[in-house]
Amino acid sequence: MQLSIEGVSKAFPGVQALDKVSFELRPGEIQALMGENGAGKSTLIKIITGLYRPDDGRVMIDGQEMSFQSPRDAIAAGIGAVHQERNLIPRFSVGENILLERLPTRNGLLDKDAIHNEARRYLDLLDRGIDTHTEVRSLSVAQMQIVEIAKALSLETKCLLMDEPTASITEHETEALFTLLKRLRDEGASIVFVSHKLEEVFAIADRVTVLRDGKNAALGEPMSTMTRQNLISLMVGREEHIVNKPQRSVDTGVVLEARGLQTSFGHRDISFSLKRGEILGLYGLVGAGRSELARAIVGAAPITGGEVLVNGKTADIRNVHQALNQFRIGYISEDRKNEGLILTHTIRENIAVTIWRRLAGALGLIRPSAELDAVMPYVERLEIRTPSVEQKVGNLSGGNQQKVSVAKWLAANVEILIIDEPTVGIDIKTKAYLHELIHEIAAGGTSVLLISSDMPEMVALADRILVMHDMRLVGEVANDRRYETVSNAIMNRIHAVEEERSTATAG
Amino acid sequence: MADVPVNFFHRQSHMTDETISTERSRRGFFAGASAQIGLFAIVALLWVIFSTLAPGFTSPINLFGIGRSLAVDIVIGFSQMVVLATGGMNLAVGSIGVCAVMLTGFLLQDAGMPIPVALAGGLLLGGALGWLNGFAIVKTGVNAFIITLASASLFLGAMLILSKAVPYNTLPPEVGQFGRMRIWGYVSPLLFIAIAIGAALYVLYRHTLLGRQILAAGANPRAAEMSGVPVGRVIIISHTLSGLLAATAGIMLVARLGAAMPSVGGEDWLLPSFLGPVLGGTLLAGGSVAVIGTMIGAALVTTIRSGLLVLQVGNFWLQLFLGLILLAAVMADRYRGVFLERRSLGRK
Amino acid sequence: MNSLLRRFLMVEWSGILAAIILGSALLAWLSPAFLTEFNIYVMLRSFCVALLVGFAQMVTLAVGQMNISVGALGGLVAVLAGGMMEKLGVPMILAIPAAIAIGALCGLLNGVLTERTGINGFIITLATASAFTGINLGITQSIPFYNMPPGLVAFGSDRFFAFPYLMIAPIIATILLGLFLSRTVPGRHLLAVGGNPHAAELSGISRGRITILAHTLSGTLAACAAILAVAQLGSAQPTIGSDWLLLSFAAPIIGGAALTGGHVSVLGTTLAVILIALIENGMVLAKVDPYWVQFVLGALILAAVWLNRWRAVKTGTD
Repeated sequence: MQLSIEGVSKAFPGVQALDKVSFELRPGEIQALMGENGAGKSTLIKIITGLYRPDDGRVMIDGQEMSFQSPRDAIAAGIGAVHQERNLIPRFSVGENILLERLPTRNGLLDKDAIHNEARRYLDLLDRGIDTHTEVRSLSVAQMQIVEIAKALSLETKCLLMDEPTASITEHETEALFTLLKRLRDEGASIVFVSHKLEEVFAIADRVTVLRDGKNAALGEPMSTMTRQNLISLMVGREEHIVNKPQRSVDTGVVLEARGLQTSFGHRDISFSLKRGEILGLYGLVGAGRSELARAIVGAAPITGGEVLVNGKTADIRNVHQALNQFRIGYISEDRKNEGLILTHTIRENIAVTIWRRLAGALGLIRPSAELDAVMPYVERLEIRTPSVEQKVGNLSGGNQQKVSVAKWLAANVEILIIDEPTVGIDIKTKAYLHELIHEIAAGGTSVLLISSDMPEMVALADRILVMHDMRLVGEVANDRRYETVSNAIMNRIHAVEEERSTATAG
Repeated sequence: MADVPVNFFHRQSHMTDETISTERSRRGFFAGASAQIGLFAIVALLWVIFSTLAPGFTSPINLFGIGRSLAVDIVIGFSQMVVLATGGMNLAVGSIGVCAVMLTGFLLQDAGMPIPVALAGGLLLGGALGWLNGFAIVKTGVNAFIITLASASLFLGAMLILSKAVPYNTLPPEVGQFGRMRIWGYVSPLLFIAIAIGAALYVLYRHTLLGRQILAAGANPRAAEMSGVPVGRVIIISHTLSGLLAATAGIMLVARLGAAMPSVGGEDWLLPSFLGPVLGGTLLAGGSVAVIGTMIGAALVTTIRSGLLVLQVGNFWLQLFLGLILLAAVMADRYRGVFLERRSLGRK
Repeated sequence: MNSLLRRFLMVEWSGILAAIILGSALLAWLSPAFLTEFNIYVMLRSFCVALLVGFAQMVTLAVGQMNISVGALGGLVAVLAGGMMEKLGVPMILAIPAAIAIGALCGLLNGVLTERTGINGFIITLATASAFTGINLGITQSIPFYNMPPGLVAFGSDRFFAFPYLMIAPIIATILLGLFLSRTVPGRHLLAVGGNPHAAELSGISRGRITILAHTLSGTLAACAAILAVAQLGSAQPTIGSDWLLLSFAAPIIGGAALTGGHVSVLGTTLAVILIALIENGMVLAKVDPYWVQFVLGALILAAVWLNRWRAVKTGTD
């Protein structure tokens, strides 16, 4: 199947997710689709699979223009997909999930044998260990992922979209998947492969298309002409934008300390200390447990062992309310839309939410003018672009939303600020602003715990870098702002842990 | 990048069309303003129609009657509105109301308490039952619909068991006298109570810490929680307030009827309690309230009820009208795009 | 022992079954009237309408919706059937299917309005409930139709020993509904949409059509319940359905339905209705204030919700 996307655009309130993007997929090839979070990959995939309709541009299959009204149409046109989100029905059996939309029947009733035999065929391509009769909700995350892939395979379509299919499966299973995908390709299938893991892309893709900020940064370039380095720079274009801050040595008292923390997420033995005015980096791959740790510290998730000390005193923080008002700790969530902001509220209300308590006078009354006076400096300082502070936050661009999300915690005037992935999915200019800002905050005496999986960002900002892997802290790296050495040191720590584990399980 | 300033926050801000204006937009709090004006126009039109068709409609005695029932309808609407603000609902408003009615009746007639004590007792019970709802919702994490559906039955059942469904008919005469009192010949003092409550709620949501926290928790509980808003506490307070308002409405009914009857309230309040707020522009999804809208919404309900009565169409068709009006209102709202915008924003 | 008990409690309808057995034993011991043929007949007869009412709500819960209008819809169907038979002289054999078809249409209306407008199903069905009641009261002026065909009345009151003929209908409905939800494609799709709407849509299932189907089915079941109620009462009362709301939610929820959709239990709902019938019967036998039924039903729902919650926490699901 020949799939061509020509000049497709898609806008959401406040964001241009795709701007005249093209993409072309030939029969018998595996093409990688790459880009940072927020580059527009998911939007593109949702357009191809009929979930979104493009504002502009054309989707063509074998030279014919298509207009998908729903995922149904896309499936009918021969496009199968493994989506990033979990798309299984928890209480249904594995077999039923795989064949969900075309369950075989006999005399009008479901043919259970046919379901399980049929599903078995596809599942066997990947993993013989999963019983098709099991309810999906009792599977492990990796097994669910396998079921998702089997489900997409079972459509027997000539075109397969795989959005991060390997995110939660083991190396062994990944290998099996790759062998299978290559076989399908050799049989003439067209496959789109989305992944953040460079090794995988190099291992499997024939060509690559890169998106950056909703535009094409590369269109169907052969992988043979690519190196890791230029693929990264195509994706992030970041070398020229990220400015390293001068190295500092912070030699002050400890404000936040963790001693042997355990959480219900599975964190074990987490110990570190954060000094006044320091930027402590917390680096880790997606799923390492960084955000979860942050949530536990601010009381949004339970701590099951160990202790947190604030200014040398044991702090039993049970909720964010307490973290903010009693211990002066703030957390800027990475999940801006669901946790960081109230999209239907105004900029004024979103920023002031952390300081209402402070603004409230007798009888809990808040004077509107006082609220405005408290909010305006931050709106100006962060240069939030808006006609009015009474604008709903949902109407702002991603970058401006992130500024609001940061502004409300600046307004809160906390001593300790945990900043989680501050620059994901926002434009480069805002990113530079925010880097500058984080540096300034720390220089002003606020202690910052910076969570990021953006290595150059980490190297540019952090004073020290903690490395987290699989719910544990696996090392600390001093940051001398030399990208190559620091990033190598970090990745070496992670690889060392992985190796230890594989030898341990092998032996 | 040349245009990235190094030390940007000591820079002068350039006044361009994109920079902030501190001019207060009316769009936030008055989101439903246009809807309310439309609603008000409909109410006004109905008044013209009814008074033309039936001259008795504007007679002082009918106006007094309308005012009295309007007062109760408004407060019933408020008791639902305050939980809708949190994104929840309270199906037990009627049950709580009638529980408060019967306790007040008992305290006045059987226990011989002075009127202020009895009123306080009724209100306190309403608040306590509301608190129970809120507590159960927050502690179990089960949605408000099912908890209050069950508690409505529980409260009503308990009240009937304890009171044996016998009304209190011999209340102190002052109660009935207050209900019959007319100011300027046709205005019931109950209406002033309803308006005063409306004013207090307006200030609560517009100008106080608690009100802001309630709306934040209603619009996005996770984001509110992560911003330090004690969401659980706020929900419990809202339900307590709802119970208190339901009890107030119940007690106003006692004054109106001059007796405490077990047949008031219950499921009969369900539809009116949603009609006022929803017609007035309060979103079911939470995070917004329309205090004035709820009052106008209640006015629409009361007007239609009274108009049909005066025209002798009979109460039987009233239900049909109310249902159709509710449908028309939510659909008009939907197509004005308010819901659409919310949905697109709420989506990931 | 503890783990055995725990495993027993993990089965959704285990608690209800235990309560039914215990309750029956207790009643049999306390009241000699309980195990008489007539009493069992009375109990089974009261079970018939309640079960269909529970099912009517269950199918909307399955798809993640709710139907506030079950009772109002039932009342309307009851008086329309009665009116057709008494005032228009339509033969029973035509009037009943016609009335059930009207119920299905009312359900279809609920579904289409909910789906096409995207407005919360609660508020839509609250509004249609009021409209249905309004039409009901407008037509009847609150006066029942008393002259029902003798065949229908006989069907509603005759019995074979303790077995009321009325019960044939709910038995057929239970079997069909059980088959529908577990063994047919639309039934599975209905639960799939309730279990994970987004996933169902991505798999090519039309969410809108399935939601409309669920509401239509709900209307049909409520209509069947209404016809049974007319047969049982021997007259078409406009008040039929006015007390169904709580019951309609109580039965499926006590029976283990997930409030978020995607999981319902035909067996659990049936057992829940048996339990409710048993409680009502026990109270009549014990000559307790009838108001206790209301109280106990509320308490039961809360207990069931709490038990489901506890189970979910223990198994680490949902």
